Amino acid sequence: MAKLVITDLSKTYPNGVKALDNISLEISNGMFGLLGPNGAGKSSLMRTIATLQEADSGTIMLNDIDVEKEPRKLRQVLGYLPQEFGVYPNITAYGLLDHVAVLKGITNVSERKEMITYLLNKVNLYDKRNKKVKSFSGGMKQRVGIAQALIGSPQLIIVDEPTAGLDPGERNRFHNLLADVGEEVVVILSTHIVDDVRELCNNMAIMNNGSLVYKGSPITVIDELKGQVWRKAIEREELQEYMSNHRIISNKMVAGKPQIHVLSETNPGEGFVSVEPNLEDVFFNKIHFSETTNV
Amino acid sequence: MFKEFFLKELIPGLKSPMVWIFFGLFGLLAGAAVASDSVQIGGTIGNIHKNSPDVITTFVLVLSIFGLLIATAFFNNAALRDVNNGFSEIMFSLPIKKSGYFWGRFLGALILSTIPFLGIFLGVIIGSKLAPIFDWVDAERFGGYEVSYFLNNYLLFIIPNMFIGGSIIFFLAHKWKSTIVSFVGALVVIVFYIVSGNLLSDIESQDLAALVDVFGIRTNSVATQYWTPVEKNTLAPAFKGLILYNRLIWVGIALVISAISYHLFSFTVKKSKSKKKEEDAVEKSQRLVLERVRTWKGSFEKGLGWKQFVSFYRINTDSILKNNVFKILFLFSIILLFVELLQGYEYYGLQSYPLTYKISSSISNSTSIFIIIITVFFSGELVWRDRINNIHEVINATPHNSFSALAAKALSLITASSLLYFFFIIMGIIAQLMQGFTKIELDVYLLDFALSNLPNYIAFSALFIFVQTVMTNRYIGYFLSILILFVWDILLGVIDASSNMLDFAGAPFLQYSDMNGFGPGLTGSLWFNIYWILFGFILLYSAGIFWPRSVVSGFKERIKVARGALDKTTFVSFIGLIGVWILVAGFVFYNTQVLNPYLSGDEREELSAEYEKQLKKYDGIPQPKVTDLKINIDIYPNERDVAVNAKLKLVNKTDVAIDSLHFNMDESWETTITIANSKLVYSDDYLDYQIYQLEKALQPGESIEIELENKYITNGFPNGTGNTSIINNGTFLNSFGVLPGMGYNNGIELSDKYTRKKYDLKPKKRMPELEDSCGENCMVNYLSAGAADWVTMETVISTSSDQIAIAPGSLVKEWTEGDRSYFNYKVDEPSQLFIMFMSARYEVAREKYNGIDIEIYYDKKHDYNIDKMVDATRRSIAYYEKNFGKYYHKQARIIEFPRYATFAQAFPGTMPYSEAYGFIIDLEDETENNVIDAVIAHEMAHQWWAHQEVSANMQGGTMLTESFSEYSSLMVMKNDLNDDMRMTDFLKYDYQRYLRGRSGESQNELPLYKVENQQYIHYGKGSVVLYSLQDYIGEDKVNLALKSFLEEFRYKEPPYPTSNDFLRHLDPHVPDSMKYLVDDLFKKITLYDYRMKEATMTEENNMYAVTMTFEARKMYADTMGIETFAQLHEWIDVGVFADEDREDLIAYKRIYVDKENMEYTMYVDRKPLKAAIDPRRVVMERIIKDNVLTIKEE
Repeated sequence: MAKLVITDLSKTYPNGVKALDNISLEISNGMFGLLGPNGAGKSSLMRTIATLQEADSGTIMLNDIDVEKEPRKLRQVLGYLPQEFGVYPNITAYGLLDHVAVLKGITNVSERKEMITYLLNKVNLYDKRNKKVKSFSGGMKQRVGIAQALIGSPQLIIVDEPTAGLDPGERNRFHNLLADVGEEVVVILSTHIVDDVRELCNNMAIMNNGSLVYKGSPITVIDELKGQVWRKAIEREELQEYMSNHRIISNKMVAGKPQIHVLSETNPGEGFVSVEPNLEDVFFNKIHFSETTNV
Repeated sequence: MFKEFFLKELIPGLKSPMVWIFFGLFGLLAGAAVASDSVQIGGTIGNIHKNSPDVITTFVLVLSIFGLLIATAFFNNAALRDVNNGFSEIMFSLPIKKSGYFWGRFLGALILSTIPFLGIFLGVIIGSKLAPIFDWVDAERFGGYEVSYFLNNYLLFIIPNMFIGGSIIFFLAHKWKSTIVSFVGALVVIVFYIVSGNLLSDIESQDLAALVDVFGIRTNSVATQYWTPVEKNTLAPAFKGLILYNRLIWVGIALVISAISYHLFSFTVKKSKSKKKEEDAVEKSQRLVLERVRTWKGSFEKGLGWKQFVSFYRINTDSILKNNVFKILFLFSIILLFVELLQGYEYYGLQSYPLTYKISSSISNSTSIFIIIITVFFSGELVWRDRINNIHEVINATPHNSFSALAAKALSLITASSLLYFFFIIMGIIAQLMQGFTKIELDVYLLDFALSNLPNYIAFSALFIFVQTVMTNRYIGYFLSILILFVWDILLGVIDASSNMLDFAGAPFLQYSDMNGFGPGLTGSLWFNIYWILFGFILLYSAGIFWPRSVVSGFKERIKVARGALDKTTFVSFIGLIGVWILVAGFVFYNTQVLNPYLSGDEREELSAEYEKQLKKYDGIPQPKVTDLKINIDIYPNERDVAVNAKLKLVNKTDVAIDSLHFNMDESWETTITIANSKLVYSDDYLDYQIYQLEKALQPGESIEIELENKYITNGFPNGTGNTSIINNGTFLNSFGVLPGMGYNNGIELSDKYTRKKYDLKPKKRMPELEDSCGENCMVNYLSAGAADWVTMETVISTSSDQIAIAPGSLVKEWTEGDRSYFNYKVDEPSQLFIMFMSARYEVAREKYNGIDIEIYYDKKHDYNIDKMVDATRRSIAYYEKNFGKYYHKQARIIEFPRYATFAQAFPGTMPYSEAYGFIIDLEDETENNVIDAVIAHEMAHQWWAHQEVSANMQGGTMLTESFSEYSSLMVMKNDLNDDMRMTDFLKYDYQRYLRGRSGESQNELPLYKVENQQYIHYGKGSVVLYSLQDYIGEDKVNLALKSFLEEFRYKEPPYPTSNDFLRHLDPHVPDSMKYLVDDLFKKITLYDYRMKEATMTEENNMYAVTMTFEARKMYADTMGIETFAQLHEWIDVGVFADEDREDLIAYKRIYVDKENMEYTMYVDRKPLKAAIDPRRVVMERIIKDNVLTIKEE
């Protein structure tokens, strides 16, 4: 049973931007989704947990490891796949995993070989093990990335925006892999893609402007909005008017016309249809109106 | 359209800082070089103005090489900007014209790249204005300006060089669209420049070398090689001759290249390599896995750190070795080394054997620049590699130690450099074997690497890694690294600091000698290496502390993180490391500053000035002269100590009473002087001067005995290489070191007039002026500087029992006592007090000739040419005894000494000869010049010219010794070869020596009979003049003159002879028709200019009539090199050759010429091919190419 406890974590950049604003969070086993728009502070949070950035104040504890004081201990049980995972030119998939494995303390040669073979099979890259990683497609590279994150026996796995740029098939495979791992250990999945969280996580948090605007389960949060979300297709020139009169959660183009979702306890007017809220509604609701929402 | 692109290129370029940074940098460099003596680019001397057009041209040319790299940046940028910005598809879809786009950009970049050079001009002008105001440099050393000084440089060198380089870069950039390829292209140009110069370094090929020089650097030096100071001060590079041809050739090539790249250039965007077909397009559908992913637990115990280090090391080294930049640099360095090895080691057109130390130093010389580039470049690569490739977060999040990661980077860098070096060693060995040379000394290769190269690799790798780690941008890191490399030394020079403890990776210079191994600098070098390696470790450690393991924002946080990285164990070991370094530093400091203090350049100058100011009053005061010397000298080769005990008999040869004796000591010797009935009345340790007052004055004719003890003790190690004359094997001391000097020594005075001015001293004459009938001023000769005339000498010299010790004279007795060998030598004939003492492990070759023992003392590794040396000695003695008179010693010894000095020198009957200068020359090919012959014959000749007669210490003195010895040696060679054309082939080096020498004269050029110890005159011109003289009046006549001169002065007490005395003896032997020649040769600076204008031939009955039309001019130059035309009344040779190579001279005729334009017909019975004026080159001419023409048949 692993548990990650974040208490009062804050970080302000020299230019005055508050990257992390007093964040407290408790995460236990399983997949945890961290949702937020670009620039919300997700990556800062992830990096801070992964010992790659120091916070101004606050603590992070994984079980009894104080991350700030004993970064080395945390790194021993950490699997990390950063948002942009690059590779050296001229290195093969096997060579790269081998190097990372040594760095993660898998020093026994035969054990290492066995493990890398297993992982490469797991991510379906065994045939390509002697190919240069640089020549891989985005999805393949990402699988190498997850393979390296699984090296050792990580208690904490952090994956930052792992599905950005993947095609739907690749995304599916990626999710399956993550789901495999995420039973006994803490897996934090940061993303701005709502579906990732909906599909994988039983717990989640939403970040905006450096602070948490929601934490809890995706189901509960959707329930909160039940009966309050209304949809209408409008003309383009009407958008301005609707925006000033309604709390618009989102607007997107459907068949060439704007379709708006509006938050309202009662039917906001003619032409509006009540819809089942989805996570996306929650997400937009939380980030657009976070100042009014109590966490 | 053109205008828009041109301006679009130019104007933002002008607004970018880069142009102005380089403009400023060039300006600073040029300005500093002009306004000070500590910064030098090319360097200027004496009469050449600090801001002369020649200097400006040199700056422009030297900086052209750097300028090319700047140009690369501009042209590459101009070619690739749209592509790099991803804008090309948009840009090229616009309706623009190709020509405007292409040429606009091109010319824009061309103009931009010439701007930094304008900085040179500004720097020179500002420097020359400021320096006199602030009294940095004397106002006299600046000349005025003319527009052509700048304009010609701009038009002849700057624009063409940038155009040539630019056209190549522009081509490469368009073709390959890669910045790296462009820079590699620039490197190729530079390598081509170096290689072509190396391959064509012989005199014979200098015109060709001038034409293929892409920058025009060698072109300019060939074109101006014989320029006198006046010409250098007033002439701008001209649009004619070699320079013009070279420029036309290269600009032509560049035009072709530009035309080709314009032709190939097209707006259609080349599809960037379409991403490889996604390899996983077809993939088995993922089976649903229900099992939990298996995991392996890391083991975090001891030993992991090492394994992680190894993994880092492997992956880093692999990345360097596979990197294309590395491969390309590797290839270049191989090419350069190959060329260097191919070219061999040359003297006078001869090759030396490819000894290991020579190859090893070739390796260092030709490849060190690449190793530095590799170290700079890959330090950046390795430090930034993780970040560039975006894998840093993954790596940083693993549980490894940052220090081991950094150490692995450093070790990878060192490995890459070392691997290169080992490859070069293998190349060197192959080169040796290919030349049939099998004495390969692997230990010398490896030790040279370990002592002189590896420590540098370690220290510089650490330094650059440190720089890259603390810098926030890779390119700033590169810039700083390069700045440190170049500017640090200049900075140390400016503050007059010469300690190797400040000069990064500095250590005493090690010069390997076959005789003496790595020599006296070895211990110091080891300690300095340890000092710098430890400092490297400290830098690495500091880099580890600042290593950006986590993302930091701002400096404050960086410090905070760094403090976090310093945990207790790290901190303790870091402090420990610093502690060890401080201990080593203390030890090195104690040895190099306390035990072996030294004076910096400025301090030495001050000492000289002080010496003159305080003691000048004693200059020329009467002192007694040494008449007898008994010396005991004990040499301890292992300890490098020497103990001397000498008893001197001094006689008052003046006509006044002498009441005090003056001595000049040597600071590195401990001297005790014992003079009975005397009192030490003055002793100055700073000036090293002592005066003893005699209780009873020494009356004229009276004598006095004095005794002195002199000790040289080697303590610890010095900052530099140390004393190279007292060494383990090959000690070589002369009487000036061993005995204190007597009286005021004006040789210590500062000589450069500007330095003198700095210390308020009046300009000093280089030498006393030549006097005609010489009395008082001829009592002192130039060899013993007044200390003695003819002296009887006896030496007892001892050394360790495995060595032989030698002093001049016959070996009277030899014995051993314990582990020491003793030798007692006695000079057979009273000689000049100019003797030497040597000790080494020698082999000896002996031969008796005419009652004389010919002995060659040599190192057992150098037995190649011993027979030839004996033979040369024998032949010289034979010629000289026959023509000049008896040899007065019972032995003629040639003794090898280590290569710390490259000369041969004649002491009475004994001639030390450097190991680098003859013992190792390959003389298998007998058709080549025999330098050994020449040098041995020269030194042997000194036994007559210097040791039987010696000249008074005034102008013209060295003509009577050096020029005569050169002449004598030439005559031995001439009689041996009996081939005029081969003599001409040998003499070309003397012509060159003189003509180039006068071009670099720092004060005044003087005619031969007033030579002021100027080597280019007494060797170079002296050879030519006397050779010419014997050609015109006959060898026998010259020899008779020499002989009668010698007979008058042989072993004669002063007054000593002057050059006028010789001319007096020469006069009776010169026919009236040739009197003009003696004046021209000896008393004037005479130059000729001949030109064959036309040569035609008709044949009749197998007789060939060759009609030649030629031009002849004679000039007299003044001491500054200003020439005036002289009336012709000359005897000039014309002749015809049968072959192209001008070896077969069919006939020549000496004809009288008194008009500038002449026609002459000569008849020969063989078919000639070429007609020549002065075919055997017996007069001094600067340009001889135009003396020969192929004969036209009619």
